Amino acid sequence: MSTLLTVRDLVVEVPARNIKIIDGINFSLDSGQTLGLVGESGCGKSMTCYAVADMLPRGIARIGGSVTFEQDAGGGRATPKIAMIFQDPTSSLNPVHTIGYYLETALYRHQGLKGMDARMEAVRLLERVGIDRAASRLRAYPHQFSGGMNQRVMIAHALAAKPQLLIADEPTTALDVTMQAQILHLLEELKAETGMALMIVSHDLGVIARLADRAAVMYCGKIVETAPVAELLQRPAHPYARALIDCMPSIDPQDLDPPVPIPGSVPLLDSLPEGCHFHPRCLRASVECSAHFPASAAVGLAHEASCYHPVAA
Amino acid sequence: MSAPLLKVSGLTKAFRHKTGFFARPTSQLAVNSIDLELAPHERIGVVGESGSGKSTLGRLLLGLTEPTEGDVWFEGVNHKERRERDWKAFRMRTALVQQNPLSALNPQMTVGQQIAEGLLVHHVCNRNFAYERAAAMLERVGLPGAMMNRYPHQMSGGQRQRVVIARALILDPRLVVFDEAVSALDVSVQAQVVALLRSLWQELDLAYVFITHDLRIVRHLVDRIAVMYLGRVVEMGDIRSVYAWPRHPYTRALLASVPSLDPAIRNIEPPIKGERDASKVSTGCAFRSRCPFAIDRCAIETPELRHVGGQQVACHLADELPKSIASPGGTLSPRTAVAQEMAL
Repeated sequence: MSTLLTVRDLVVEVPARNIKIIDGINFSLDSGQTLGLVGESGCGKSMTCYAVADMLPRGIARIGGSVTFEQDAGGGRATPKIAMIFQDPTSSLNPVHTIGYYLETALYRHQGLKGMDARMEAVRLLERVGIDRAASRLRAYPHQFSGGMNQRVMIAHALAAKPQLLIADEPTTALDVTMQAQILHLLEELKAETGMALMIVSHDLGVIARLADRAAVMYCGKIVETAPVAELLQRPAHPYARALIDCMPSIDPQDLDPPVPIPGSVPLLDSLPEGCHFHPRCLRASVECSAHFPASAAVGLAHEASCYHPVAA
Repeated sequence: MSAPLLKVSGLTKAFRHKTGFFARPTSQLAVNSIDLELAPHERIGVVGESGSGKSTLGRLLLGLTEPTEGDVWFEGVNHKERRERDWKAFRMRTALVQQNPLSALNPQMTVGQQIAEGLLVHHVCNRNFAYERAAAMLERVGLPGAMMNRYPHQMSGGQRQRVVIARALILDPRLVVFDEAVSALDVSVQAQVVALLRSLWQELDLAYVFITHDLRIVRHLVDRIAVMYLGRVVEMGDIRSVYAWPRHPYTRALLASVPSLDPAIRNIEPPIKGERDASKVSTGCAFRSRCPFAIDRCAIETPELRHVGGQQVACHLADELPKSIASPGGTLSPRTAVAQEMAL
């Protein structure tokens, strides 16, 4: 496997207010691999995705670090195709265009398909993502579809670009559990079929456990821990990762313990605490935690954490 | 058992809608002949997919929507017999907490004003005392009393939801309906609100109905659960027995759809395909088009709620389905499981 994406010391800022949204993060992603980003809202997960896709909103800029893509095989460098799907599919689709128009324009732009070819490919894509009676659905508008069906349309649209990297930002958060199970299975199948890499953002560790190979835990614009997903869930090193796992309610009939809340809340980005940003909420914090941000250190095989007092396995 | 706080019988709500300008209006049953009882200080969860009628049920219980058929009794009084003055007394003893705290709160009033408002509207006490009680309530839900003078936009989502809970509890109600009260919150904040609700319930003489689509969170908040599908209760019972052995295929599917924290469980087929489709429901079981176990009888005869094991289930096959596939993430396909069971 070759490296598809390398992110080095990425810094993203709101220049007008001098607030760092992402503060020097590093990660890489192999082709065909899935990276999961977890953390509470406001910790920079979505902004990392936008920075990678080079589509940061106006007023927010990348001021440091690099995002590089490498092409395998030929060794030549080219920008790989990236596609992105979002949390709220219905508001991501243009309400005045039909599903067919939406898919056919994407197919023209990315594959040069026109007319009947584009239409047939659009039908094939819709069928692939699990929409039945696809040919007649091309004339439908987004408001005629449910949220789950619109998310399927978004995925079909993403596939039209034949992406090497699909970025999914909370793709199932707005959906019912039954629909979530269907979409997660669809993403699993598509990954295996197309060999694309996937970056998935979710605050639900269950979604990450299901799809990701590696997971990165983010807090206040920094990656505080990164590990293979099984390792992270079974032996988290950073107290924040441990706390995130403990606050997931369980449905196991044997496990009757209620979820353990994390005290306090995520600090505002303009008033981050000194040192480790998590120390005011951390039960293991000591004096040094409030003085310096801990450097990332290996705590296991392919497992790194930024903590002075990692949780023992 | 003491007299029920809330009793519901044959509750039905139909919404009429037109598919086109000249189309004949059709009516859809959002809530379909529901019977329910809630004892004082009891907690019940209502779960189901969106569109299953959970929220409509919540509004019917509080008399915010008029039922098409059926009755709701609260403390022995039928909603239909309530007059204006009785409704005011009823409002003092009940409350509703909704999903989005920002839209539930008035942006132009301080948090303190909004919490105290209930006391003032119902002339419970004078202004000074009302503010004192509001401040005490604010601290009880875990916010500093100094936040009394804040406006909703100056708070985080979790803090706002605490304010809404404080406002709901200021009149010391007997019944609260929580409609997706924690769904919009982050997992960590969700856990905080869950801990708060658990401790509040222990202290107060309060019964609640917790409406949610989140099967993980509800388990830690209620004693009894009702599973709804297209307006009907398809399974009801003690939360532990339902989760240990869900008897209705829909409950099984819901529980099996919850993503597991075990990364070894992958590439499993979704437990049910397709989406709910109210248009197809005329006779028989509404779930049959998605049900892997459906038999001919399901299309003809609508299953009624009946006692199976420790719970009530509306399924013809409830006592024939094996327990083995109930575990979330089970790889056995339902049909082979039934075949195996029959062979034994």
